Order: sequence, then structure tokens, then C-alpha cells
Amino acid sequence: MAAQSDLYKCVYSFLVENKFTKAAQQFLKQTKVTPQDENEESLVNIYNFWVKSPEARKRKAPPADTADATKGPSAKKAKPSADSSSSEESSSEDEKAGAAKAAPAAKAVPAKKAAAAAKAESSSSDSSDSEEEKVPAKTPVKTPVKAAAAAPAAARKKDSSSSSEESDSEDEPPVKAAAAKPKAAPKAAVPAKAAVPKKPESSSDDSSDSEDEEPAKAPVKPTPVKPAAVKPAAAAESSSEDSSSEDEAPPSKKPKAGAYSAVPPPASVQKAAAAPAASKAKDSSSSDDSSDDSSDEEEKKKAAAKPTPAKTPAAKPAAAKPAAKKAESSSDSSDSSSDEEEAKKPATKVTPAKPAPAKTAAPKKDSDSDSSSSEDEEEEKKPAAKVTPAKPAAKVTPAKPAAAKPAAAEEDSSDDSSSEEDEEATKKPPAKPAAAKTPPAKKAESSSSDSDSSSEDEAPAKPAVKPAAAPKPAAAAKPAAKAAESSSEEDSSDEEEEPVKAKTPTKPSTPAAKTTTPVTKPAAKAESSSDSDSSSEDEQPAKAKPATPAAKPATPAAKPATPATKPAAAAAESSSDSDSSSEDEQPAKAKLATPATKPAAAAAESSSDSDSSSDEEEPVKAKPAAAKATTPSKPAPPAAKPAAAESSSDSDSSEEEEEAAKPAAKKQTPAAPAAKKPAPAAAKKPADSSEDSSSEEEEEEEPKKAATPAATKPAAAKKAEESSSESDSSDSETEAKATPAKPAVTNGKAATPKAATPKAATPKAATPAAKKAAESSSSDSSSEEEEEEAPKSAAKPATPAAKPATPAAKAKESSSSSDSSSSEEEEEAPRKAATAPTTPVTNGTGGKRKKDEESSESEEEEEEEKKTPNNKKAKTTPQTFPKTKKSVNVPFRRIREEDVEVDPRLTNNSFEAKFGAQGDWGEKANDVLKFTKGKSFRHEKTKKKRGSYRGGAISTTVNSIKFDSD
Amino acid sequence: MRPGFSPRGDRGGRGGGFRGRGGGGFGDRGRGGFRGGRGGGFKSPDGGGFRGRGGGRGAPRGRGGPRGGRGGFGAGRKVLVEPHRHEGVFICRGKEDALVTKNMVVGESVYGEKRMSVEEGETKTEYRAWNPFRSKLAAAILGGIDQIHIKPGAKVMYLGAASGTTVSHVSDIVGPEGLVYAVEFSHRSGRDLLNVAKKRTNIIPIIEDARHPHKYRMLVGMVDVIFADVAQPDQTRIVALNAHNFLKNGGHFVISIKANCIDSTAAPEAVFASEVKKMSAENMKPQEQLTLEPYERDHAVVVGIYRPPPKAKN
Repeated sequence: MAAQSDLYKCVYSFLVENKFTKAAQQFLKQTKVTPQDENEESLVNIYNFWVKSPEARKRKAPPADTADATKGPSAKKAKPSADSSSSEESSSEDEKAGAAKAAPAAKAVPAKKAAAAAKAESSSSDSSDSEEEKVPAKTPVKTPVKAAAAAPAAARKKDSSSSSEESDSEDEPPVKAAAAKPKAAPKAAVPAKAAVPKKPESSSDDSSDSEDEEPAKAPVKPTPVKPAAVKPAAAAESSSEDSSSEDEAPPSKKPKAGAYSAVPPPASVQKAAAAPAASKAKDSSSSDDSSDDSSDEEEKKKAAAKPTPAKTPAAKPAAAKPAAKKAESSSDSSDSSSDEEEAKKPATKVTPAKPAPAKTAAPKKDSDSDSSSSEDEEEEKKPAAKVTPAKPAAKVTPAKPAAAKPAAAEEDSSDDSSSEEDEEATKKPPAKPAAAKTPPAKKAESSSSDSDSSSEDEAPAKPAVKPAAAPKPAAAAKPAAKAAESSSEEDSSDEEEEPVKAKTPTKPSTPAAKTTTPVTKPAAKAESSSDSDSSSEDEQPAKAKPATPAAKPATPAAKPATPATKPAAAAAESSSDSDSSSEDEQPAKAKLATPATKPAAAAAESSSDSDSSSDEEEPVKAKPAAAKATTPSKPAPPAAKPAAAESSSDSDSSEEEEEAAKPAAKKQTPAAPAAKKPAPAAAKKPADSSEDSSSEEEEEEEPKKAATPAATKPAAAKKAEESSSESDSSDSETEAKATPAKPAVTNGKAATPKAATPKAATPKAATPAAKKAAESSSSDSSSEEEEEEAPKSAAKPATPAAKPATPAAKAKESSSSSDSSSSEEEEEAPRKAATAPTTPVTNGTGGKRKKDEESSESEEEEEEEKKTPNNKKAKTTPQTFPKTKKSVNVPFRRIREEDVEVDPRLTNNSFEAKFGAQGDWGEKANDVLKFTKGKSFRHEKTKKKRGSYRGGAISTTVNSIKFDSD
Repeated sequence: MRPGFSPRGDRGGRGGGFRGRGGGGFGDRGRGGFRGGRGGGFKSPDGGGFRGRGGGRGAPRGRGGPRGGRGGFGAGRKVLVEPHRHEGVFICRGKEDALVTKNMVVGESVYGEKRMSVEEGETKTEYRAWNPFRSKLAAAILGGIDQIHIKPGAKVMYLGAASGTTVSHVSDIVGPEGLVYAVEFSHRSGRDLLNVAKKRTNIIPIIEDARHPHKYRMLVGMVDVIFADVAQPDQTRIVALNAHNFLKNGGHFVISIKANCIDSTAAPEAVFASEVKKMSAENMKPQEQLTLEPYERDHAVVVGIYRPPPKAKN
């Protein structure tokens, strides 16, 4: 990969020291790292350092991670993902079972055992670790979860892993207490909390993985970074920083305790982070990439195993975690990174993933930001209109567990809105710091998310949005730059892997980015700041952890998917990244907007992000009722994200794959098919995705199923949303989740290899495609509808519909994303008031919101315009490439001109271009023959053969072109 | 003379007809046909000129009508032959320059090419015209390639010998001390090749698929140069296979690449670059490249050195 992570060396050294010679060789081969100096920090030290960090306190997974890592490699080599997934699944299942029993600990143990025994894979171990860790905490959580899960009970099994993780995470996280409470009251809340806690775990897992790999968790960061990357450096940094900040941010973590308040703090933190991020931005981006790469590589080679496991766990958590959005986002990023890493094996895949992540990231960020903002807002603002609505809705939703989805969506939306509001309120101060940045970010977000939200919320929010828009313009200038940068960054990341693909993905992202761009760049910065915020948020109490966990979950998921799904994973990752970023951002500010925007890109993601953020926030805020709602919402968001992420990633991957050629082609092909399905799946995946990743591997068998689910899409879409909600619910309601999760999983699996691509495609391509619109709309609508069903079916539907239509017209993605976001937002609609508030909030209380709104509006418009083109392009490209390449017959060519480097001196084979052509014996012949072609040439030449040719004097000069003697 | 003459001579003489007829049936014919036809035309004019000196062997055939038109090499016409940069290759300076090689089998044309005899003191030396439109090696030399590495006394493996037209000139260049392993897979072409080899003792005809060097490994020793004109998509691989088996370390290869045979959809330049890259991967280090325009369309010749110690089975 382009950027080499400093961790590579560490990893390599670690491998060598532990006598994983094969893995080391493979790793070396892949990364081409130079052996580490003895003086340098060992991976273990780095890990320990990380573990000691506040965030990591509960996580003792490190050992496990390391172990996993060690194991992972080998396992991965064989088939890490599958194993990891299976192991993870088993573990998760075990956990689930345990969870069902309410004996989390017991489960955890089994899970651990299973993991250890079975694969000892990092995933399993991770999961087990996380589970174990969680277990203690879980008990409470689980119970709540179970209660919540009760419904989902069945679903849980798959989800259970995630849920269990979540539960674990929940239990684990300090927040747990809060989470537990929420759970008790609102199941959703529980999940949310659980998610949050889980996130920590997941994050810990992820972190452990990432930490193992990279102290800073480059993987996660990278992903985030990419999204953040929107501004490349800043964004990347921010993302990376976010992740890092999360990991690192023990300080920020402190805020965790005060997750609610934390949000703002995070913002500040983020800002701080942002600053570092700014400096780091590049680094982070690079590190992210590198970390991703490294992680990927590692995973691939050795670490791969770890990441995989980590991912799997992460995936699960992620799945479960929608709630743990932040964590997820971080985790997602990590996941994505891991996914990428995994994907990397197939360079293409990775690449796709990256691009996707980048894109997704942007969207995600928005979504995240939204979610976070929403969450924050919710938490903070609950009192506020939004909050109120949101909560009610949320509550309602919770009440519905099944309905949860809508609720979740609503919650998400509400969360988003609330979060935005919260953000505004809370963030304003924080936001400002970030604000400067955030606003832009918001803009971007707002553009995407905002636009969505605004569009959805339009009525309510518009006013606010507009204001936001105003800011956007201002920000826009920068954003534009940023957007370009962000796009460039994304592109760069993508490009690194696959320039073209990257571009394509980028484009989609770009649109988002663009929309976002203006905003985005600012947003990027803002995001970065926001990211930092988010990270800080994450760090705050549980969030940090959640993020991490999320990352982990995502990672696991990604990993499972990664191989095949890598694209998906990538997407997921990207989504996760974006989520994380968004989440991070959200905390910072307008994440809502961002999420929305991104969501547009990755509506699902955004939703998931929002959910996650909301979840996180919720836990903090909580608010049990809220929590419940949140929880559901979170799940949904994750699902959405996964889908979006996947889609984005898929598209990227597909593009990349195309570039990659075979792998890509294969993936693409699968992706293409999957793509459609993935879309639904993707939607579902978020929740499922986490699970899916794990489940994917396990379920890989069910690729078709995934497709089926995809086919089911409408349902799936709903499910997806539901799944997201369900996932949330599943967390709370295992059964619900299980079902959705499985489908998702299936999809995920299917998607994974194919699905991944498909997903990516789906989100983008699918979305872009009629399906996209339909799906997006369907998914969105379904999710939204479902969510809305209860509350505001009418209002929301309308909004979604409107949005979908627009998006559809524009780009499926945008539409879908926007729709989804909008739908989510719409869901929020019930809480529209809230949403609207949110939007404003997002932007800033005043200016920001306005900007957001404006941006959102403008963004919407822009998005429509841009996205449409971009989306279309992106969509087209992804779809076209994957499908075309995969399904379409590619003319056989022995020589690919574009792949051949021609010596400048040899670019012209004609006689005239030759030295000494003037006066040459053959000059006369050339005068005759140069005009001939084919048969006439032969005819003329035959005449020359007869000996009637008179060329004049023969020179003996040397006219050949010498190759450099190298 | 007679005997030797007969086979080819017949062809040449009746050439046009015979070949045309016989050739008609065969795919090979194109070449043969041309040759025959040409032989006639070619020969007559020159034939006249040379004949005087050569001994009137060509007489039987001489029907060259065009002869009158060109006075160029007419009998008695003075021709100056000077050595070319490449050892064993000469340039016949006259009204019109021509690339020639010293005829190893005096008094005989292989494919109806013109012959020129030069009398230096008491020794008569006969040269055969080498038409660049018919031979890629000649085209490369005329085009100004730096090294062909084929010189008197060299052992050359010629892949894609076809009917032996160019092989006969290579045989002239390497002389009695050298050896030419002429590999041709087509039996039809191989038949002509065998006839050429009958009169040139330094040619060892091998009618086998160059893709399977193990089938003729017992016939071939280490060689100094491999010349390849196989026009196959995998020709680089084919050359590499033979190089691994028979080319000495530090030996050279001369490969004529026909872009359309590799990939007719790609730009010739890209094809050449791609092939050059492939060579590099086979321990065949390219040293120079030259276009064969205008004598051939979308052709290039690549000359390089084979460095790594080959498997050298022999």
C-alpha cells in the first residue's frame, strides 16, 4: 500500500519474535517493511501502552488480541475470515446462547473457549476477550439486552455475537451502568448502552487489534481519516486522530463518563485532536492508510488473522452496535481498515474498500456527525423539541422493538436531529472550535445529511438549514477546497489502491464530498475537529470505547467480509470510518448534517452513524427511553452504514477490483450481483454487517441467501433498517436481530465476497441503479416507513418519498443516501421539529444550523446536481465496471496498452521516426508503402520483392534504438 | 551442378508455373509462388548479366523479358562489392546498391535471387542479392541495426526458417565454419528447407515445433545466436525456451516481432514494449530495437543478450 504504517515494522518484528516466520515472511512480502530496529517500540509495548490508556482499561483483550494476532495470521492465511467469522459466530452464538440464558459470563467463557479452541483466532479471541470482558458487565446488560432481545432472541444468535458483544461492551463500558439502566427501562436504551459499552470493548478489541498493529489504531483512523480525508490531511488526521484520539484520548474518554456533556467536550477534544489531527491529518491519513494497509497486510499475512477476529468481533459488535455507533464508527473505521487490510490481500479489494471508506467516510462522517449530533442533541436537547419528539418517537420505537426499526430510524433521525440540536446547543461552543471546522464539516454533512435532513426535515429544518447553508457558502469556499481535498484524499486513498476506482468512488464521495466539500472541507476540518470531538466523545465515557468496539466489530465484520466482502467491508469500513468520522464529527457538530450527506452517500451509514452516535449519546444521555429508541436506531444506522459503507466500499472495491482485474472482477462480479442484494443487505448489514462480517464468514455459505435477502430487499431494506433497528432491537431484541441479522449476514456473506462488492455497488451502484433508487427508497422508505409507521408514517414517508425521488433522479446513492438519511431524518420527522432543530443545531446553534440547513439545502441541491452526476457517475462507474467487467464480456487482449510502458523513443514505429530515414535506401519504398494498408500493402511489397526496386545508396549507419544498459 | 541445380533450378526456371501450380494447393504457396515468379523475373535481368560471367547456367531459364530495360548489372558491367559493417555481409555498389552475401554454393540461386560475380585477380567470387523485402534480417541490416551477432564461424539457431531463403543467406554469412540450425515446423516449407540444406552443408534442418526444444535437443549443440522469426503470440516464450536449452551464456538473440501476431488490437509500440518486457523476465536482456519499416508493416527487431547461465542441457 502506499502508506506504510510505522506499525508494520512493529508487527513484523512481533511476528518474527514470536516465530511466526511464515506470517512474517508473508507480511514482509506484502508490506515490504524494513526490519524494525531493536530500539523501536515493540508491538507489545505499544499495545500495552494503549491498554493502559483510560479507554483500554477494561480491555484486557490485548493479550487476546495479540494472541489472536499471532494466531490470526495463520488462521487468516488459511481462511481467517471464515474461521474468524465462524469462530466469532460460534463465540457470538455461544455468547448469544449465554446471553439468552442471561449468563453472559458463561457464554463469554464458552465463546472464549470456542474461539480459543476453535480458531484461537483473533476474532474469536477478540470476541471472546471482548465477550469475557463484557461478560461481567454483560450480565446486566445482557439481561436488558435479552429483554430487549427477547424479541430478537433468535435473531441474536448471529446478532447475539454482536449483541453479546454489545452487551458485553455495554457491560464493560463505564457507561454500562447507565446503559444498563437504559436497558432496563428501554430495551433499546440497553442496546444503545450495550452498544456503547460494547463499543469500548469493540474498540478495545479493535484497538487491541489496531493497537497491536498500530498503537494509534491506524486502521480505524485510516478509515476515519479517509472520510475525514475529505480534507485529506485534516480529515484524515481528524479521522485518524479521532480513532487515535479515541484510543489515545483517554482524556477525551474521561468525558465518556459524561457522555452527554461529553459530546461537547469531545468537540473540544476533537478540536484539540483536530489541531493534532491537522498536523497529523496527513499522518493519520497516511497512517490510516498505512495502518489500514498494515493492518490489512498484517491481517492478511498474520495480523490479518487478528484483524479478522477483531473484525469479526467488531463486526458483531458493530452489528449489535448500531448503538455503539461511535464505537462503531471508530470501530467501523478500524473495521474498515481491517477490512481493507483483509481486503488488501486482494489489493483490489482493499483499494475498493479504501475508496469506499473515503467516500463512505465522508458520508459516514456526516451521518456520524449527525448521529452523534443527534445523540448529543437528543441527550442534551431532549428537552428541546427535537429531543422530545425524538424521544417520544424513540420511545415509541422502542416500544415497538420490531417497530424499533422505525423507532430506531426515528431515533436516529431524531437522534440526528436531536444530536444536531444537541450539537448545536452543546456543540455550539465546542462546535465553534470545531465549528469553524465543524461548520464546514457540517456543511458537508449538512449538505449530505443536512440536505437530507433539511430536505426531509426541510419543512421544519429548512429554515435552520438555510442558515446553515449560509455558513456553508462561507465554509463552502474552503469546503470546496476541502471537498477537492477530501475528494482528493479519498481519491488518494482510493487512488493509491486504484486511482480510477478511487476516482469513481471518489466521485460519489466527491459529490458527497462536494456537497460536503464546501461544507466538507470545512467539514473535513470540522469533521476532523468533529472527529476529534467524536473521538473525544468516544473517548469521553463509553463512546471512545464504543467507537473502538464498533471499530472492532466493524473490523471483524469487515474481515469476514473482507476477503470476499472486503469491498463490502471496505464499504462498511468506509462507512464505519465515515461513521466514526461522522460520529466523531457529530460530536463535534453537525455530524447530523454530515451524516445526512454522507448517508446520502451512505444513507445507511449515516443512519447507522446517527444511530450509533445516538446510541452512544443516548446511553449517555439516556436515557433509557431514549436509549431504547437509540438502541434500535443505532442498530439501524449501523445497518444503514454498512450498507452504505458497503455500497460505497463495494463500488470502490468494484472499481478498484476492476482495476485490479481478476480479483476485482471476481469481486465485482459478485459484487454486482450482490450489489443489488447488498444494497438491502447493506442496509441491513449495518446491523447485520457487524454480525454479517462474522456471520458472513460463517454464513458465507449463505451468500446466496444474502442475495435472497437482497432480493427481499424491500423487506430486506426494511429489514436492513429493521435490522439496524433490529440490530438495535436485536441487541435488545435478539430475535429480531437474529432474523435481520441473518439476512443481513447472509447478504453480508453473499455480499462479502460478492456482496461486499455488491453492497458497495448496491449502495452506490444499486442505489444508483433503479434498484438503488428503489432500494434506497425502499430501504429508506421501508426503514423510514417502518419507523415512521408507528409515529409519522405519513410525514416521513412523504419526506422520504420526496427525497427518494430527488435522489433517485439524481443519483440513486445520493437519493438513497439522502433518502435514507432523509428517511431517517424523516423518521425523525415525527420529531422533525427535532430534526429541524437538529439541523440548525448541527450547524451551530445559529450560524451552524443555518449553514447546515443552507448547506443542506444547498447541499441538497448541490447534491442533487452534483450527486446526481457524481452519484450517477460513481454509480455508473461502479456498477458498470463491476457488472460490465464481471458480467460483460471483455474482449480478450494479450496486451493491455494502458498497462504497457513504452519507451518514449519507441513510441513511434514508423519509418519517418527512425534515425537516418532521410536518404535511406528504403525511403522510396516508404513513400509508396506508407499509404498502403493490408492487401494493397502486400501488393506493393510484392512488387518490390521482384527486384525492380531501386533504393539508391546503402548506408551502414546505425539507426537502432539502444535500450539502457541496466 | 546439374543435380544441385535441378531441384531449385527447376523451380526457379519453371518456377513461376510450377510453383504457382504446386503452391496453389498449399498455404505456403504464397511465398513459394512469389518466389517462383520472382525468381523468374529477378533472375532474368540479372541472370543475363551474371550469366556471362557465371557460365551461362542460368540460360535455361532466362526468359527475363525486363532485362533489356535495365542495364544495371548487365554482363560486363562493373560492380564494386565492399564489405558491410556486419561481417559476412557485403554491399554491391553500382548504379544501384544492393545488399549481398557471398554465395557459398557458387552458381546457384536459392530462390531466384540475382547473383553477381566479382573477379578479383584470378579468383571469382559470387554474391547473391539479398532482398530486404523478402528477408527480415536483411531489412534489419538495411535499416541500420547495430549488431546481428551473426558472423562467419558463428553457430546460429534459426527459428522459423520457412523455406530457407533467409537461412541460405545466414548460411552464406557464417560460412563453412559456422552452423545454422534451421527449425521449421511446417512440412511444406520444410521441404524447401531440406532442399536448401542439401546443398549447404552448414545448415542443419530441423522440422519440429520450436516450442518443444527437447524434441531436437540431440541435434543441437550450444549456439552463439538465436534468430527468431516465428510470428507466434508466444514467440518470446519460444525463444526463451530455446535459449534456455541451447544458447550459451552471453549469447545473443535476434527476434523479429510482428505486432499483429501478438495482439492485433493493441498499438504496435505497446506490443513491442510488452514483448521487450517479457524478454527481460526471461533473462534475455534487450539491447536494441529497430523498426522494419518500410520493408515490413508493424514489425520490429529486437536484439539482446542472453546472460544468465542457461540450463544448457547440452
